[in-house]
Amino acid sequence: MSDTRTADRPAGKRPATPLGRGADWADERLSASPAIRRNLGKVFPDNWSFMMGEIALYSFIILLLTGVYLSFFYDPSMTEVRYDGSYSLLRGVEMSRAYDSTLDLSFDVRGGLLMRQIHHWAALLFVAAMVAHMMRTFFTGAFRKPRELNWILGVGLLTMGIVEGFAGYSLPDDLLSGTGLRIAHAIMLSIPVVGTWVAYAVFGSEFPGTEIIPRLYIAHVLLIPGIILALIAAHVGLVVLQKHTQFPGPGRREDNVVGERVYPTYGAKAGGFFFLVFGVMAGLAGLFQINPVWLYGPYNPAQVSAGTQPDWYMGFLDGSIRLFPAWEIRFWNYTISPVLWPTVVLPGIMFTLLALYPFIEARMTKDRALHHLLQRPRDVPVRTSLGAMALTFYTVLLISGGNDIIANKFDISLNAMTWAGRTLLIVLPPIAYTATYLLCLGLQRHDREILEHGVETGIIKRLPSGEFIEVHQPLGPVDEHGHSALEYAGAPVPKRMNRITSPGRKVKGFLIPVAEQKQGRDSGLESDDDDMPAIEADGGARRLAGRPKDPEL
Amino acid sequence: MTDRPSTQKGRRSRTRLRRRVTGALALALALGSVGVAYATVAAAATPKAQTAASAVGAPADEPVDVRKGRQLYETGCITCHGQNLQGVTNRGPSLIGTGSAAVYFQVATGRMPVARQEAQIPRKKPKYSEADTLQIAAYVQSVGGGPEIPTGDLRGDDANLAEGGELFRLNCASCHNFAGRGGALSAGKYAPPLANANDLTIWTAMLSGPQNMPVFSDNQLTTEQKQAITNYVQTLNSEKDPGGSAIGRLGPVPEGLVIWVIGIGAIMLMILWIGAKS
Amino acid sequence: MSSEGNRLSPATPPPDIDLEAWRQKPLEQQALEASELDGIRIVHRRERFPVPGSRAEKRAERAVALCFVIAFLGALAFSVCYIVLPWQYGISSDGYPWFTPVLGVTMAISMFGFGFGAVLWAKLLIPEEEAVQERHGGRSDVADRETTAAVISDGLAMTGIARRSLLQKALGLSVLALGALAIIPLGGLIKKPKGELFRTGWKEGVRLMTGDRRLVRPGDLEAGGIATVFPATPDGLTTQVVADSVVLLIRLRPGQQVSARPGQEDFGWQDYLAYSKICTHAGCPASLYEQQTGRLLCPCHQSQFNLLEDAKPVFGPAARPLPKLAITVDDEGYFVAKQDFNEPIGPSFWERP
Repeated sequence: MSDTRTADRPAGKRPATPLGRGADWADERLSASPAIRRNLGKVFPDNWSFMMGEIALYSFIILLLTGVYLSFFYDPSMTEVRYDGSYSLLRGVEMSRAYDSTLDLSFDVRGGLLMRQIHHWAALLFVAAMVAHMMRTFFTGAFRKPRELNWILGVGLLTMGIVEGFAGYSLPDDLLSGTGLRIAHAIMLSIPVVGTWVAYAVFGSEFPGTEIIPRLYIAHVLLIPGIILALIAAHVGLVVLQKHTQFPGPGRREDNVVGERVYPTYGAKAGGFFFLVFGVMAGLAGLFQINPVWLYGPYNPAQVSAGTQPDWYMGFLDGSIRLFPAWEIRFWNYTISPVLWPTVVLPGIMFTLLALYPFIEARMTKDRALHHLLQRPRDVPVRTSLGAMALTFYTVLLISGGNDIIANKFDISLNAMTWAGRTLLIVLPPIAYTATYLLCLGLQRHDREILEHGVETGIIKRLPSGEFIEVHQPLGPVDEHGHSALEYAGAPVPKRMNRITSPGRKVKGFLIPVAEQKQGRDSGLESDDDDMPAIEADGGARRLAGRPKDPEL
Repeated sequence: MTDRPSTQKGRRSRTRLRRRVTGALALALALGSVGVAYATVAAAATPKAQTAASAVGAPADEPVDVRKGRQLYETGCITCHGQNLQGVTNRGPSLIGTGSAAVYFQVATGRMPVARQEAQIPRKKPKYSEADTLQIAAYVQSVGGGPEIPTGDLRGDDANLAEGGELFRLNCASCHNFAGRGGALSAGKYAPPLANANDLTIWTAMLSGPQNMPVFSDNQLTTEQKQAITNYVQTLNSEKDPGGSAIGRLGPVPEGLVIWVIGIGAIMLMILWIGAKS
Repeated sequence: MSSEGNRLSPATPPPDIDLEAWRQKPLEQQALEASELDGIRIVHRRERFPVPGSRAEKRAERAVALCFVIAFLGALAFSVCYIVLPWQYGISSDGYPWFTPVLGVTMAISMFGFGFGAVLWAKLLIPEEEAVQERHGGRSDVADRETTAAVISDGLAMTGIARRSLLQKALGLSVLALGALAIIPLGGLIKKPKGELFRTGWKEGVRLMTGDRRLVRPGDLEAGGIATVFPATPDGLTTQVVADSVVLLIRLRPGQQVSARPGQEDFGWQDYLAYSKICTHAGCPASLYEQQTGRLLCPCHQSQFNLLEDAKPVFGPAARPLPKLAITVDDEGYFVAKQDFNEPIGPSFWERP
């Protein structure tokens, strides 16, 4: 049977257009047609929160592009030179060649400063987007089986991103980053038994030596980006292989993906989004000055500036090292530095817990099933509350990393800020847990209530008895008490009349909702709507649909 | 590279002119006050009852600005600093040996007279005019002695900018921040921002070490070095930022705020828009 | 996607489709059926503008076109500004600070134009669609698993590794050694820490100098003054020496009472004290001196030391006092160190006694 069909069309028609002939040329060699057809048609679920990982990917591409540009001019050498460039406030100052070339790059290369600023802003965005993406993954349960591996890859990417950022931040060899390196050196020294050996291995000598900048450079431009690229390939590859998760909704099941095909719709949106992210980076780089190393001055171990901070992604470490009490352990002839606990042990615990969380949760819930449908945060109150607790802990650390700036700007005592940080670090997380838990339960209850009684219409009716009641629009068939017995399906429950016809779907219009046109739709999707029948005949509800912005929970 | 010398030259000549004018004015002011003082030495000053009552007493040949300064002192400062500058317990410190530099700094920046007791006395709108301030300073100088208000060129030549920067980072930036934006000290104290400082307040602060600031005597930082530091600070204050808004020149904290609020914020709006049904 | 191009039969089995009939269908239907070959069903597809060429459609088209025109103009403006604008930066009034902002903004405009154009195209013009793709997760089919396992087992059996225990051991041995071989060359990074952590540039008789190489005399500081000083040796200002030898020289105010640790009572000279500037917590230069309270603050982590009590840490994360340098005045009236620090400076480390 199939033989005859193959014989029917030995090679097909010879393509008429040059494009077609080119494709034929390639296909003859690569046999790629089926793969191309399959991958162009790949379906991506459509939800705004699924685009946060893309922000990270795009900022990484921006980092590669601008980073290559910077490497044309930057010289990672710690040789002492005398500055003789355009920036007259430093002319004649002794500095390392690394700092000197960074100044040249900023002042004596046309457009160099823009590239530096895009690069630095994109670095901040890269880590921020990864954190945002991770929060989405966490709170919707997207890390559950079978995606535990990808979660671990993601934690690896986050860690590598932070290390990569710190290495890049150190390269200009300015006063601020040099001070950061000195602290990094102290952190290495704090490791028990091998600390001094580790510090000597990394720095090549006593601090600062002449090795560290060249080594950080090769780590920053080759080693770590290579690892990050490999991790990204694996991370994205797994998404392609396992297909994206989706939120529950009409027609969405564990064994399918509902959305738009990559080609042309999703591709156009995602491709356009790259330029939007690039645009935001270019705009920030033009409007906001970042890391003005010429103001910091070259690194000198005798100098320091008030308000010395790392970039934001290291801020939580700076906060933890500021808050941790002065507990130094001394025994026999050995010392354990107080720096060890907040900068080695604490982040070690934090990142280990983070990486293992999918397994911890699976063990606690005894859930061994495969999950491709996401959960709404309110439906998993324990996880959501744990996440809120961890975020609170992290945020207190992060804010404490800038507590001297806050103390100065808001006229608060520095010592009070430190004590407040220490107290809140212990007090706030349990409060956050409890508050989030209660909030989740409240939201759940509200959803169930609407499923049972219907949506508030805002129409007040007077009963013959003289009683006033608000008319509720039930979402399903009702019993004699006006109660419907709809099951909660894990999807958003419409809370306003103008959402009623589109359960699980967004309202038309951005920022200001507009009424959606009624459409006769021919798809099999609509069959699931039997669970939540749309109201067809109610002109009243339609008119209400244009009502702007009810407060929503 | 090629067009720089001309623009640099133009800029430099203009700023130098401005600086010369400032310097000349300061010099004229100082010389003038001294001149007036000496010119009026002969004029017999009528000692007033209140000055006669003071323990030190008013010398008959008191220069006029010292005399006026004494009057201002005795109305505005005496309650806390005492009749003979010896200070009043729990109110104000002794002013003996603080010199006119300290008085100028404290009064010209509005810190004195003090409004209420805090961890640190803040900068305020000055209560006394520049002339009154100099008179009080002259009086305190005449009685207590100490570092004097500097005269002459307070900035020097622009060739000192790089040296000024090095000295600033070594001696000043640790408290006042790399760009002179101030910083926190222990328990509610702080190093104030230098954005509003004029040349004379920078100088008098270094000379007198107000509140918790260390003193930088002329033996330690020479006149030329103080000129260089002042020149660097004031040049930074007027320097335009080449990379857009400097967001406070405070380093990574405002940068982190910008990336989360503006960067992530703008992109979140975009993805909401992309995800919204059209 | 195999890269073998000369095979006579296709790499994957031909799709189950009646090609002749399919060719007769309109393009949209063709694509619909083509997608179904891969388990993709387009369940809903709606033209944004049911009537082609309507005014609404034209308006949408113009909006998208406008975006691309803006992208073009932005890129053009960027290029022109890049070439034409004065770009070299000078300080103060004559400097031209607008080059980078102008470039950034024009680049952003261009990028936004292109990005919004592409997204708007997708949102306004490309027909709305909803596609459903089957998802096959979980374990592979039992047949696949067992056949794969058979291939693997057969391969192992062919090597005979299970029964050749000598080979097993020999192989294991060599793999271990090769693994070590990959790591061993990193030994080039390892340096034995020498006594440097316990030593600085100070020793008996070394004078104190300032950053501009002036020797320091007792009259140089006023009461309540501080100075950062370095060893007056030829290499005293090199980064390497500065990093562990930098010292803060303090002259106390009259009336400030000091207490000293046992054995350090005579380290100061009259009202002068000298402490290592390197914080004992994480190594930043602790130099925010409050001359009235005698407190020294480190700007990195807010450790506070009371210099009047021999630099005892009184707040924050530092656990040890700052090391004190013993100073005196030599015959010519200059400050000199009496000896090196009597303890290692800077942050703690394991071998520190």
